[in-house]
Amino acid sequence: MPLWRRIGWLLERKQKVSDLEEELRFHLEEETDAQRDAGVTQAEARRAARLDLGNPVVIVDDTRAAWGWTVWEQFVQDVRYALRTMRRSPAFSALAIVSLALGIGANITLYSFTDAILVRELPVSDSRSLVRMTWHAPEQEVHGSSYHDSSYTDLAAGYTDGVFSYPAFRIFADTGVFSSVFAYQGTGPISVSIRDQAEPAVGEYVSAGYFSGLGMRPAAGRLLVDADDHVGAPPVAVVDFGLAESRFGGAGAAVGQRVLINRTPFTVVGVAPRGFFGTDPEVAPAVYVPLHANLVLDAENPYSPPLARYTDSSEFWLEVMARLAPGVSLAQAQAVLAPQFHQMNERLHAAGRWTQVPELVLVPGARGLDGLRRGYASPLLMLMGLAGLILLLACANIANLLLARASARTREIAVRLSLGAGRGRLVRQLITESLVLSVLGGALGVAIALRGQGAATSLLANGQSDFTLHAALNWRVVLFACGLSLVTGLAFGVAPALQSTRKDLRSRRAGSRRALVVAQIAVTLVFLVAAGLFARTIANLESIDVGFNRDRLLTVTLNARQAGLTNDAAIAFYRDLRTRFAALPGVTSVGLSDMAMIGDGRSMDMVVANGGEPKGSLIMNAGGGFFAAMQIPLVMGRAFDDRDDRPGAKPVAIVSQTFARANFGTANPLGQPLELHNPTPKVAGLTFEIVGVARDTRYASLSVVGTPLVYFPFSSAIWGNIGQMVYEIRTNADPAASAERAIRDIVHDANAGVPISRVATQATLIDQTIGQQMFLARLCAAFALLALTIAVIGLYGTVAYDVAQRTAEIGIRMALGAGRGRVLAMVIGDVLMLTALGLAMGIPAALAASTLATSFLFGLTSHDPVTLAAAVGGLVGAALAASYLPARAASRLNPTTALRHE
Amino acid sequence: MTGTPKDRAELLQGTLDLLILGTLLAGPRHGHAIAAHIRRTSEELLQVETGSLYPALHRLEANGWVAASWQLSDKGKRARYYRLTPAGRKHLVGEQGRWESMSRAIQLILKAAGQQGV
Repeated sequence: MPLWRRIGWLLERKQKVSDLEEELRFHLEEETDAQRDAGVTQAEARRAARLDLGNPVVIVDDTRAAWGWTVWEQFVQDVRYALRTMRRSPAFSALAIVSLALGIGANITLYSFTDAILVRELPVSDSRSLVRMTWHAPEQEVHGSSYHDSSYTDLAAGYTDGVFSYPAFRIFADTGVFSSVFAYQGTGPISVSIRDQAEPAVGEYVSAGYFSGLGMRPAAGRLLVDADDHVGAPPVAVVDFGLAESRFGGAGAAVGQRVLINRTPFTVVGVAPRGFFGTDPEVAPAVYVPLHANLVLDAENPYSPPLARYTDSSEFWLEVMARLAPGVSLAQAQAVLAPQFHQMNERLHAAGRWTQVPELVLVPGARGLDGLRRGYASPLLMLMGLAGLILLLACANIANLLLARASARTREIAVRLSLGAGRGRLVRQLITESLVLSVLGGALGVAIALRGQGAATSLLANGQSDFTLHAALNWRVVLFACGLSLVTGLAFGVAPALQSTRKDLRSRRAGSRRALVVAQIAVTLVFLVAAGLFARTIANLESIDVGFNRDRLLTVTLNARQAGLTNDAAIAFYRDLRTRFAALPGVTSVGLSDMAMIGDGRSMDMVVANGGEPKGSLIMNAGGGFFAAMQIPLVMGRAFDDRDDRPGAKPVAIVSQTFARANFGTANPLGQPLELHNPTPKVAGLTFEIVGVARDTRYASLSVVGTPLVYFPFSSAIWGNIGQMVYEIRTNADPAASAERAIRDIVHDANAGVPISRVATQATLIDQTIGQQMFLARLCAAFALLALTIAVIGLYGTVAYDVAQRTAEIGIRMALGAGRGRVLAMVIGDVLMLTALGLAMGIPAALAASTLATSFLFGLTSHDPVTLAAAVGGLVGAALAASYLPARAASRLNPTTALRHE
Repeated sequence: MTGTPKDRAELLQGTLDLLILGTLLAGPRHGHAIAAHIRRTSEELLQVETGSLYPALHRLEANGWVAASWQLSDKGKRARYYRLTPAGRKHLVGEQGRWESMSRAIQLILKAAGQQGV
């Protein structure tokens, strides 16, 4: 029978039943008439007709079976029955639902992140036909950089990068295999000023075909076209939908308005569609401007002369994506483009610009750039595995509780079996009970996941205000949640249902329940060990001697150039600002540098010592007061002071101990000359005299020891022109929130046009560099707590049940003279045996699992005896605690009452 | 078919459907009339139990071989009338063929057995 008819009948079933009754009534009357016509009395005829009809209830039942929805009806019955059963044992139901909800909630939360990071595609039309250009080379050889995270080295493929030169982009655009080709690049930090209010932001340079290539329609106005993207075109911008709403009051209102980007006026010609975030899931640009706008906005970049960007094929700076022409496959496009790209690089190689020849590799572009995926794929998968284990634990627990309850229902089930209920029918009903539990648990789990997403997002963001990744409930996540609920319901329901409807249930059940408890203890140990390893990793990372004092140090990052100040004016502004900060109450000293010591990207350059071989070193521009504020001791010579920042001052430098040792050995480095290997025009030919040697510090990364580092006075502006500045403000007490207000006021007073891009303590910046470990540690700790709770509940349930079962036995023992202590010891000894079995399984499992986590650990090996000992101790303690109450109850049994029990 | 008197032929499994569909070939009838028609036409040899008739009718309806509607009987009472659908007619033809070849086969076997026994 077609499903629709069945469902239709189900909906009108009241009507169908009354129809059937009327039909049978009619039959009865007809039969009565027929009998009477045969010549008997009315009463006799009625009796005969009734006899002929038989039992109408049975007929109705049999006929209903023919309607084909007995299964549905029974299901509804079963659900009702299940709800009644649940109400009868609220403690069990609550326990089961809550532990399931925690397990399912954890899984949904993680799945929604996995979905957001690994699965979700760009919100563009026909994303499957998008391809992204990358190139491979055996070794890293940097010819440009990207604000998108598109370059990486891996052991198998060597170096992969996603930036191309403008001429290469033109070549791709001129082949026939694509219906459109477009290029883009991040602007880096910019200031966007709307209605005289400057805010730090990031933007995107995009080629004219960007929006049309992605298949976007504007929310208002128009998107960028060819006429916008050439030298001398009027400066126009497309703004983000959210920005248009928050700053202009709506998409329509934004069109035609003026925005200042780094003080350069742009006209808003359109608004990007709602939810559009570009091609990189990691960053959401606030504004989109034509490529050629970088001639204005990024005119001073000494390493990328404006004109070379559009003519020089060795100037790599563009990310490129394309849409395959209809009927062209990725492999075909690859076959057409790769030789052309190869030729181009062959020429560069011949001209000595490349030491190797990179090869083009096209990759699917549906999910956009893959930086986020690379960074989070393995920890996320690991966490998904852990969350799966948690759910397994919860399932085992409920199966355990169900088995315990099944014995309480032995009588009920035996009665029903003996009354002729089929075993299949009973099993179905018991499984329905499990499914009702799991669906309720799943629903609660979704609610937990909604809160969990917020918590996990802030854990993952770890204080970064510009964190753009947001997990959301979408149909995939909902589907996942539903599937998970059903699967778990079956997982913990089937075995107990089968076992409890068996005739010989008693003997085997106790064994399987104990096995479940042992497994739970084993799994819990794995979690405890993982949590312990991560906690110790965090502790190790946080107690590293970074070489400076990280406490009570506030950093303020801003860029005066974004307010349109000239180089000299910016230097004066920075110097003045330092004095203003130093005057704040509670501030003991203030330093400044172009980068935060730990937390910012590092800058690498070549420094030649002694005119010899160039040796790589990190460099940092630091102002007067830097070493004092950071409390970095100078082992020789002097720190920078204000003299070094004056115009025409003698070029000086300070080197780290490692740099001094590497370049001068035991010789005195003071007074030695330094040269830049690849100087910008401004500092070409200058020789810097070493005036001090500073103690080694960690730089950029917490875990790298002994970094060669050279400090230059901040005004020497090794990079050509001065840019952003970080102030290190040392305070008496922990930096308070009120300090931030005061700092913002000071900057606003000094120059209202300068946006502050970050105010953060140095400790926070350090924590952010170890964000992944912190995230893992916190989540693992939460999981371990969850696992421990679930295991303790399971253990408690088992012991309490066993004690209840053995009441008579214990009574006899006590009657025969066993003391309370003996009974206590007997129950607890039993628990300890289970725990020992669990540990015997759990320890090898924990050791194996922690090997997988090796790459996330710091300062300890994956087989850390301290962690293992602590986890084992904690688990044994928890097991004892769980068994204490039931054991005490057993020891206080009154033998007389106990013996009367059966 | 419990309680069927000895002097009546036992209905073979599955033949009730065939009898009902065959009865409806002549035109729409209500349940009681179908039972009466089968009994009468089989010269009282076949007696359809009410307890089997209605489940069978509803099963046939669920399969789409008969359709039912409420009509007034010749005595002016509301009765549920069943009629053959085109699908039912097709099903009947197939079942009838199967039945005929089956009964022919049984006859052949019995005849052969009879001859050997003589």
